[in-house]
Amino acid sequence: MLIPRKVKHRKQHSPKRAGAAKGGTKVNFGEFGIQALEHSYVTNRQIESARIAMTRHIKRGGKIWINIFPDRPLTKKPAETRMGSGKGSPEWWVANVKPGRVMFEMSFPNETVAREALRRAIHKLPMKCRIVTREGGEF
Amino acid sequence: MSEVRLTVEPRTEFGKGAARRTRRSGKIPAVLYGHGVDPRHLALPAIDFARVIRENGQNAVLTLNVSGAADKAEKSTELALTKTVTIHPLKNYIEHVDLLVVRRGEKVTVDVPIVLTGDAAPGTLVNQDVDTIQVEVDALKIPEQFEVSIEDAEAGAQVLAGQIALPAGAELVTDAEALVVAVNEAPTEAAMEAEVDTEGAGVVEDQPDAESQNGA
Repeated sequence: MLIPRKVKHRKQHSPKRAGAAKGGTKVNFGEFGIQALEHSYVTNRQIESARIAMTRHIKRGGKIWINIFPDRPLTKKPAETRMGSGKGSPEWWVANVKPGRVMFEMSFPNETVAREALRRAIHKLPMKCRIVTREGGEF
Repeated sequence: MSEVRLTVEPRTEFGKGAARRTRRSGKIPAVLYGHGVDPRHLALPAIDFARVIRENGQNAVLTLNVSGAADKAEKSTELALTKTVTIHPLKNYIEHVDLLVVRRGEKVTVDVPIVLTGDAAPGTLVNQDVDTIQVEVDALKIPEQFEVSIEDAEAGAQVLAGQIALPAGAELVTDAEALVVAVNEAPTEAAMEAEVDTEGAGVVEDQPDAESQNGA
């Protein structure tokens, strides 16, 4: 599972959700990619799940790039606890993904198989996404 | 590349509100600069310009007919190269265009896209490292794209920037040793599984710095 090796502070404020992606909005490494259309926190478990969904579908002969990293901790207070007594303990590691961000990229010789693999990966992610190509769409 | 004529209008109001009004009226805000002249703000017809880019690529050379130029001293016809096209990442429309004034016979440095043709040998994976290469070429003879054939390329094959055939009069600006395409052996199932470390690493917190210890 993706997780930071070392952090400066164990607990952080929740990441801001406003705005769109400033960079990483194009497919740079592979031929196809998954682009976020909404803002969301993507946990390391979701990233791993999406990666496995793609890997298991293409089986071999392809390459996958993960362009996001879950570097922000989210905390949670235990159940049935009264408010106060400080911030809860870190529970999840998330990537703060904004609309437009290309999260995963894939290189695979067969386009139909690649698109199906990406479609399966999208089902593991918490926001609306679309498949984009290196050439980009028509405008 | 054929020369394209486009009738454009000068823009008199600026800023994001004005730019949005321009886009709503079916035009694209643009700026024309180069050759030491003052920048000129223009509005291009959105549908016509999108067609030009589709047909001629992102390095289209346009003959601009500036209709209703406010200042009579300003030239009403300009030859311009499309320098940068800003496209909205989500909605896929052209937000803004930078145009560079060029002269006939002048050499310009442009990024020309590379297109791979053919299929590599079975059991290989093609990695394209760069999408474009920079060349210095006559402004009116800019190639739309460079085709690189990877037909039946075996694992280990490489194409460097210097190996791409350029048209006469064009000079390569990108480093000739820059890797453009590499054909590698396709990874096995086991190699793909092992790519990401699935072990949950322990998080180590740094020692609190002196400032936070002092209660600052």
